[in-house]
Amino acid sequence: MAVPKVRKATMADVPAVADLVVRAKRLNNEFDPMFAVVADARERAKAYVSDSIKARHLLLVAAAGTKVVGVVRAELRERIFYSPERTGLITDFYILPEFRRRALGHDMLEQASSGLRRMGAQIIVAEVPSQNEIAVKFYTKRGFRSLVQHFAKSPQ
Amino acid sequence: MPRSRGEDEASDKALAYSKFYGGKVGVSPKVPVRSLQDFSVWYTPGVAAVSKAIQANADMSFEYTGRWNTIAVISDGSRVLGLGDIGPEGALPVMEGKALIYNYLGGVNAYPLPVRAKDEAGLISVVRALEPSLGGVNLEDIESPKCFEVLDTLRAELTIPIWHDDQQGTAGVVLAGLFNSLELTGRKLRGSRIVLFGAGAANVAAARLLVEAGADPGDLVVLDSKGILYPEREDIDQLSLRNKWKYDLALTTNGRDISGGAKEALEGADVLIASAGVGPGLIKKEEVAGMNDRAVVFLLANPVPEMLPGDALAAGAEIVATGRSDFPNQVNNSLLFPAIFRGALDVRAKTITDATVIAAAKELAAFAKRKGLTPKRILPTMTDWEVYPTVAATVGESAIREGQARKKASREDLLRTATAVIGVARKTMDALRKGGIIPEPPGQG
Repeated sequence: MAVPKVRKATMADVPAVADLVVRAKRLNNEFDPMFAVVADARERAKAYVSDSIKARHLLLVAAAGTKVVGVVRAELRERIFYSPERTGLITDFYILPEFRRRALGHDMLEQASSGLRRMGAQIIVAEVPSQNEIAVKFYTKRGFRSLVQHFAKSPQ
Repeated sequence: MPRSRGEDEASDKALAYSKFYGGKVGVSPKVPVRSLQDFSVWYTPGVAAVSKAIQANADMSFEYTGRWNTIAVISDGSRVLGLGDIGPEGALPVMEGKALIYNYLGGVNAYPLPVRAKDEAGLISVVRALEPSLGGVNLEDIESPKCFEVLDTLRAELTIPIWHDDQQGTAGVVLAGLFNSLELTGRKLRGSRIVLFGAGAANVAAARLLVEAGADPGDLVVLDSKGILYPEREDIDQLSLRNKWKYDLALTTNGRDISGGAKEALEGADVLIASAGVGPGLIKKEEVAGMNDRAVVFLLANPVPEMLPGDALAAGAEIVATGRSDFPNQVNNSLLFPAIFRGALDVRAKTITDATVIAAAKELAAFAKRKGLTPKRILPTMTDWEVYPTVAATVGESAIREGQARKKASREDLLRTATAVIGVARKTMDALRKGGIIPEPPGQG
């Protein structure tokens, strides 16, 4: 099995990256029914990924040979009232199961953090479902702490 | 495959006899009561000295009480036979039957003990609480994946053997049958392509034991109801959260990255082990026809195998085994579990390792081989009485070798002890019947 290398995504990667993004969203659905995935998620993901490349958001992939096995996507956000103001927000992070448990996630997070810092981010924030204990453990193990909690309910 | 007349007859008798006898097993004394004075020894005040000796060294409970030969057959009733979740009361007659087999074939005092426990933690807590009274626990008829969590946790935590017969028992007998089938068809375990059809208790355990016995994990292909397990299957993340045992199989098996269903899995395979669900029709003739020459096919669903054995033979399989006694090559847990606990209890084992299960499976296979292997006789049958002490001695030896025995003994002594204890159980049955304490069934006296 080829050792995956982390690199910037290109337009040629869009279908494969979109597939991984949808897998990540489906995984979120395991934690809460509020993350029910829409039927045309794959089509939406393709647009989302290509828009991200065009908008120059951070989009890194891990590729084992020609096969895309992981993705991390992040974008810059401004905080109006707080300092530091510029946040690098990791919105999507997914690695295929057979490439997990071998520090690839750590490597991708490091490279994403460096990239975001170069883009001007002063803090790095990652968004994950509250119930995703694996993700919570992944980030806390690397010095992240819980910052904001989202509370959700359906309106009566 | 419709119910046979024999099956109907067995059901009618089971109902009538169960009512007549009011249960299959009971507690009976082991010590003489010559007069009420004897209770001053068996009970207070004399018994206090025994209690104090055990308090000073808890392991003495294996010497001064019946703990050394006592197990509980525990179920939550969540997956009983082919009946599904019928609850603990519904499970009781099944656990009684199991306890009777333990007693008669293994000389083991087994308590049928279905319990009301709604989840893994509840079941684990009950078994943990019972440990001081028992020399071992047979878990039975617990749904998957709950059974994996319960077994793994209790095996790691307790210092008495915890055995889940639907996992280790079935997998052990499968392994024994497979060893002989491979020999008959000129194969080695390493290098054979093995398809496990079904990813429940039996096949998940079989996959683990096969790898520990020497199979290449890349040569195993496991199927569940959604098809072949492979790392990129759509539901793989769900599996990682809901069934980590199946998830691990998806990541470690199927080295050829095959996707699809039974047809794709069986193409060029040497062995099929189906433990999936009641058939027939789950596996098709043309799918077995795609297997290699001299294929080995185990169809283990009860009461109706995944495909008719005759169809598997017609499709080119050389050896076919099922879970039924009315076909050749019955893969029957009863060949193993009485001997497993006989051997484990005789050395006061702390656990039954996978290496011990593999050693027992090899002994079972060797026993059948000594009697003469044919494609229709790859395993001993339950009437081969000597198989139980023989396998028990191997289990004891293995537990000693594995550093899991509280008591050490030579193979000769282990064989002698197992033969004697099993002999007592059979003699007791004979005596109780001859003495009229156990009457003949109604209509046969």
